[in-house]
Amino acid sequence: MSGLEATKRKPRVLVAMSGGVDSSVAAAVLCEQGYDVIGVTMQVWDYSSSHCAIEEGNGTCCSSLDVDDARSVADRLGIPFYVINCEDKFKTTVIDDFVGRYLKGETPIPCVNCNTFLKFDHLLMKMRELQCDFLATGHYARIEERSGEPVIVTSEDSWKDQTYFLFTLNRDILKHLLFPIGGWQKPEVRAYAEKIGLPVARKKDSTGICFIGKKNSYASFIESQVPSQKLKPGVIRRYPTGEFLAEHKGIHHFTIGQRKGFGIAVGQPIYVVKIDAETATVWMGDESHLLSSRVDVHGVNWLSDVKDGESLRVKIRYAHSGADAVVRIHDRDCVELQFNEPQRAVTRGQAAVFYRDHDLLGGGWIR
Amino acid sequence: MIKPSWSLKDAGRIYLDHNATTPPLQSIVEHLPEWATKWGNPSSIHWSGRGPKNLIRDARENLSHLIGCHPLELVFTGGGSESNNSVIKGLFAQLRGGDRNEYITSSVEHPSVARCFDWLREQGAIVHFIGVDRDGRLDVEHYKRALCERTALVSIMAANNESGTLFPVAELAQLAHAVGAKFHTDAVQTLGKIPVDVGHWGVDYATFASHKMYALKGVGLIYAKKGERLTSLIHGGGQERGRRAGTENALAIAAFAWAAHEHLNRIAEHSARMRELRDRFERDLLARVSRISITGIGTLSLSGAGLARLPNTSSLVIEGVDGESLLMNLDLEGVSVSTGAACSSGNPEPSPVLMAMGLSRQEAQSSLRVSLGWDTTAEEIARFTDILQNVIERLRNLHASFAAKRSHGEGTYVRS
Repeated sequence: MSGLEATKRKPRVLVAMSGGVDSSVAAAVLCEQGYDVIGVTMQVWDYSSSHCAIEEGNGTCCSSLDVDDARSVADRLGIPFYVINCEDKFKTTVIDDFVGRYLKGETPIPCVNCNTFLKFDHLLMKMRELQCDFLATGHYARIEERSGEPVIVTSEDSWKDQTYFLFTLNRDILKHLLFPIGGWQKPEVRAYAEKIGLPVARKKDSTGICFIGKKNSYASFIESQVPSQKLKPGVIRRYPTGEFLAEHKGIHHFTIGQRKGFGIAVGQPIYVVKIDAETATVWMGDESHLLSSRVDVHGVNWLSDVKDGESLRVKIRYAHSGADAVVRIHDRDCVELQFNEPQRAVTRGQAAVFYRDHDLLGGGWIR
Repeated sequence: MIKPSWSLKDAGRIYLDHNATTPPLQSIVEHLPEWATKWGNPSSIHWSGRGPKNLIRDARENLSHLIGCHPLELVFTGGGSESNNSVIKGLFAQLRGGDRNEYITSSVEHPSVARCFDWLREQGAIVHFIGVDRDGRLDVEHYKRALCERTALVSIMAANNESGTLFPVAELAQLAHAVGAKFHTDAVQTLGKIPVDVGHWGVDYATFASHKMYALKGVGLIYAKKGERLTSLIHGGGQERGRRAGTENALAIAAFAWAAHEHLNRIAEHSARMRELRDRFERDLLARVSRISITGIGTLSLSGAGLARLPNTSSLVIEGVDGESLLMNLDLEGVSVSTGAACSSGNPEPSPVLMAMGLSRQEAQSSLRVSLGWDTTAEEIARFTDILQNVIERLRNLHASFAAKRSHGEGTYVRS
């Protein structure tokens, strides 16, 4: 394309469309704002329906109905729409990691890897391949400028805020990202969808992990993905005495802080406080054993500069409201957090994500 | 010059996916209102049945000229897939329990043949899949070894939909007949591209689809040689002499015959024209862009001499470029091509046909199928070649620059 044509053309944006109302409205808003919009849906295996009744053409019959929804929204908006193949990448970077971490006694968050390796890497490459200037998603997050540099800021809808899942993004790519509904409240998004007659206006919010689905449990999903000899049975012991409490069918059934569903009565509420993957031992203790006042965080990615010893707001799981902590930077990707107040159920595999006011500063993985 | 009915040409779009489907001829579109007045049930005794009955009779006549057979050897169906299913499953039903329980097919058939044989296997039949090489040559030795007095049916396509490779149907049929087996060829990709003469092929069954020859969807055709039984897949009324039940789609059948009539005396002209443009395209592209290879050049005879391809098809492997990205970019430029069979679009797996031809997964994912039509112009081909060259070079440069950045540790988040 010649320079003249390049300056004349409208900015082009690739929008990731899941078929849900948020990304559908994001696409619609971009159209309204005058962008040249291209819609794309990532085809990942629909793990929620692993038994497909129709054998023929597994690409279409097993792809979830969400792809059809995304396509019908794109048709309504009159934009080009493509389904792109992400099955292999999704399997290796999201599914395998998720399963592997469960087997190590961690409680992983696959959405972060999906953002890291699919939405903001694979799709970013598609954005460049299709000569787009921007990549947009329906995330509840905003991008603002701080002294000329783009930063990610929590969304207007604090209940829906999704910045927790965005801490691995590379600083260089922020200038290419658009979050069209990040400044909106969820009800506004639905109202907009209704107003312009999007077919997904009343579609339910997706909850939980997309590839597990509503009918499945985490444990049965893990069991469907690994050979049974990898799912070692073990014992449940009282922490710290070591008293034998019960047997269990594999550590993938447990997560830190879990209380219900053991069929164990010891007269007072007890919780999973530690999972020892080596010996397949699950330790149950009192609520007090769940509290930590410090935590090591590794694999840290920084979106803004932070000083050693600075006091930050930290979220240690998605639904966490955040706690104040002092950060000790051991090296660039490994830090220690000292909480002002001890925190309950600090869980390996979850992320610790750092904020200054509303600005996302970075984050890493809880060790 | 045959006029296409589609308006997209006006928008500067270039349609090069004629192996997926073809635009109906303008003259067909113009005749549709007239044919639509013949709405009666062709089986009716009264006046309303006569019009459509005549349309169908004339159509059968026209089509018999096109493929070189007697009109009564032709059975109209609902499409190419149904035709293939009818022949294969029908024959299996006839011969079930007898001495002949073995079937032979190639590893590069259309799914409507391949899945039939998968099903036959589940039903207890023995099925031999004969491989092909990178040029599309059938493994003839394997074929000869597989043929025996237990062989019921051989089904090998006349032309491959993805690579355009032609198979030496006449010779293959002769070998099958030598052991007393029946021979079917899926000839869906031949009509409108090469001369078809089922008598010369010497096959027992051949199958066709109307929408690949500038007519409408919803009609297929089975040639069943006189004396060869055809068990109806669709049970019901006695239409098509009891060989295919269901009220005939007279409108689409008339359109099919119209296209056949248009095609009949012009096959050599169309064929030569498409071949010239296709060859020019390949020559220009390969001269201008490096690391591109052509797949499935094929073979005219069992000896392997004389390479043969459909004159309109070009199957390319473009190294270092993802077919998916190529397709999206070309679509945004108004060019319609495909990576493999259209039926598998949305299916992210690389083409099983190309994999069966010995291409690596990566090569199959870097493939592009270009299929020309009667109305493709030299100007379109020149413009397409320019666009394709630009897109390939841009994508290659993009990936090269990112590969360099990544090797310097920039860009990606790495989780320890």
